[in-house]
Amino acid sequence: MSWFAEVWKEFQIAFLENERYMAYLKGFGMTLEVSFFAVLLGVILGIVLAIAKYMAANHKGCRPLGWIANLYITIIRGTPVYVQMLIIYYIILTSREIPAIVSGVLCFGINSSAYVAEIIRAGIEAVDRGQMEAGRSLGLSEMQTMRSIIMPQAVRNILPALGNEFIVLIKETAIIGGIAVLDVTKAAMNVGANMYNYLPPLLIAAAMYLIVVIILTELLSMFERRMAKSDRR
Amino acid sequence: MIDVKNLHKSFGDKQVLRGIDEHIEKGEKVVVIGPSGSGKSTFLRCLNLLERPTDGSIVFEGNDITRASGKELNRIRQKMGMVFQHFNLFPHLTIQKNITLAPVKLGLMSQEEADAKAAMLLERVGLLEKADQYPAQLSGGQKQRIAIVRALAMNPDVMLFDEPTSALDPEMVREVLDFMKQLATDGMTMVVVTHEMGFAREVGSRVLFMDEGQIVEQNPPETFFSSPKDRRLQEFLSKVL
Repeated sequence: MSWFAEVWKEFQIAFLENERYMAYLKGFGMTLEVSFFAVLLGVILGIVLAIAKYMAANHKGCRPLGWIANLYITIIRGTPVYVQMLIIYYIILTSREIPAIVSGVLCFGINSSAYVAEIIRAGIEAVDRGQMEAGRSLGLSEMQTMRSIIMPQAVRNILPALGNEFIVLIKETAIIGGIAVLDVTKAAMNVGANMYNYLPPLLIAAAMYLIVVIILTELLSMFERRMAKSDRR
Repeated sequence: MIDVKNLHKSFGDKQVLRGIDEHIEKGEKVVVIGPSGSGKSTFLRCLNLLERPTDGSIVFEGNDITRASGKELNRIRQKMGMVFQHFNLFPHLTIQKNITLAPVKLGLMSQEEADAKAAMLLERVGLLEKADQYPAQLSGGQKQRIAIVRALAMNPDVMLFDEPTSALDPEMVREVLDFMKQLATDGMTMVVVTHEMGFAREVGSRVLFMDEGQIVEQNPPETFFSSPKDRRLQEFLSKVL
């Protein structure tokens, strides 16, 4: 048998035999699920952090808020996400009642929030200073100006970057097998253990990540082009 | 109407305003001129507290706005319209919404009242057909006239203009100045920072010359331009006229 035929056979075993493709697909469903809820949590926490940082930068009385937010961001960004995940799984959520996926979502959500906060802050800062001045000069309060004038414009800067964060998270969650969540990477490892050959299943898993990331990246740039178009209206 | 006493403003250790005393009466059109960096824009922006003075007081219609609380300040600003060099229209809103947003949000008018007011003002500047367009679709001159309309929709008692024609292409300066002249004729109290000497001469009831953070000389336009006394003003006028 030629070498190519041999390799092809290995891949067939790794993907088709015993309906193994279902294991990958289920695993990838888990990967997407964890990433989605993690981004959601990341956005919620990120908004809180961004508000804290904004208030600290613009109001002297709120400075301690900024210190807390910065401390949080420093710790989250300064430690490995794998270690964070293990800490949350083994130390904080040790109860058997709580499924491991919750630890995963919590870990990646918290981790993501530090980056999301920066995305939001940058999105708000990119809105021209004159917009706040125009709003305030009309007698609108800072809150009213933020809500009606600054945020609708900032969202246009923030959404594409959030899409990117989602794509990054999809790849980062590959370590979630470390706390026994059956994602696509873990599924590939299981298949590998079954057939005593890890390379084909891992390459399949890698291809799945790559395809989804390429599709999402393309969707995102389509979305950005459409937004740019409506800017020129 | 506006009473400015001993106004000082520093950015860090850079002194921009060094003690300004000025009284502006209702119905006056005060034109402020001076070289760049003289503090004239900062002076104007202090009047509605976009810049917070380091020292001194500004009394507007009986209230010292440098001591006003946040809420009072918002209420006072409703009575002081401001027009910016770069228009600062809201790019995500239609022209109509740009004009009606503040009066409706602040509960001064219903949406219908505000729409009617906007239509009336737009008609007046000949831009009624632009009501549903977005700022990006307008020329600079049109944008600035909309910005003035947006401020007028609040029924202000005084209008502050911060170099309203400086960012415009030359052929568009006229339409903005003409509209400002109309406002002046209607009796609006105006404070205008500008480089348009023709406008100062024609419309100003008083012209102030600022240099290095102080008002160096002021006079009605006839005397101001024909017999300047201060040497720096003479020099300035010889360069711009």
